Amino acid sequence: MPVLTKDMVAGLVSTGASARVDADVAPSFKPGDRVTARNINPVGHTRLPRYVRGHTGIVDRDHGVFVFPDGSAVGKDKPQHLYSVAFDAVELWGPEASDDFKVYVDMWDDYLDPAK
Amino acid sequence: MNGVHDMGGMQGMGAIDVDPNELSFHEDWERQMFGMFLAVFAGGHYNIDEFRHAIERMGATNYLTTSYYEHWMNGMQTVLLEKGILTEEEISARMAELGKGAS
Repeated sequence: MPVLTKDMVAGLVSTGASARVDADVAPSFKPGDRVTARNINPVGHTRLPRYVRGHTGIVDRDHGVFVFPDGSAVGKDKPQHLYSVAFDAVELWGPEASDDFKVYVDMWDDYLDPAK
Repeated sequence: MNGVHDMGGMQGMGAIDVDPNELSFHEDWERQMFGMFLAVFAGGHYNIDEFRHAIERMGATNYLTTSYYEHWMNGMQTVLLEKGILTEEEISARMAELGKGAS
């Protein structure tokens, strides 16, 4: 069984354990693409917030391939690309929201569809 | 899951209490909880997503009336029980020891 040693602590505390995966997985999207967050309501773990479901944003950047939390939470990983997706505040919160704000949400491939 | 933890956009929770001098730990047991989390994680007993999902399953009332590190304690206990690494009997026995002032 692996054991926590003193020399591991500083790294774990300052940066956490990376969920980046060294796997050759093709991205479904690229920066600049318009994407719509899927309206899904899984009963298990997800990191897809309710407030973005069904809303459209723009892929700001591709972080690379990461552990997929929804699967990992039940011991079944499905590594895939993770993107920072920018949503306009008005898109999420309606016309009374500020034009100046965007919300950047980290979103996995399985959370997204191409915008229609 | 659509649990109460997914609070983005919720209203009616009052102002966000920002304390620039907030301590990392308010109680000594929180410090121990932090250390225990790292030890159990490094031991390979759970991954972060299993841990988070266990916290999400706390139940809304319990979740909203407990502190951050109480969430950690609850999540860790749930995962370790589900994986058979700890038993209810072991936890109860240890609680009884601590209740008598053991350390």
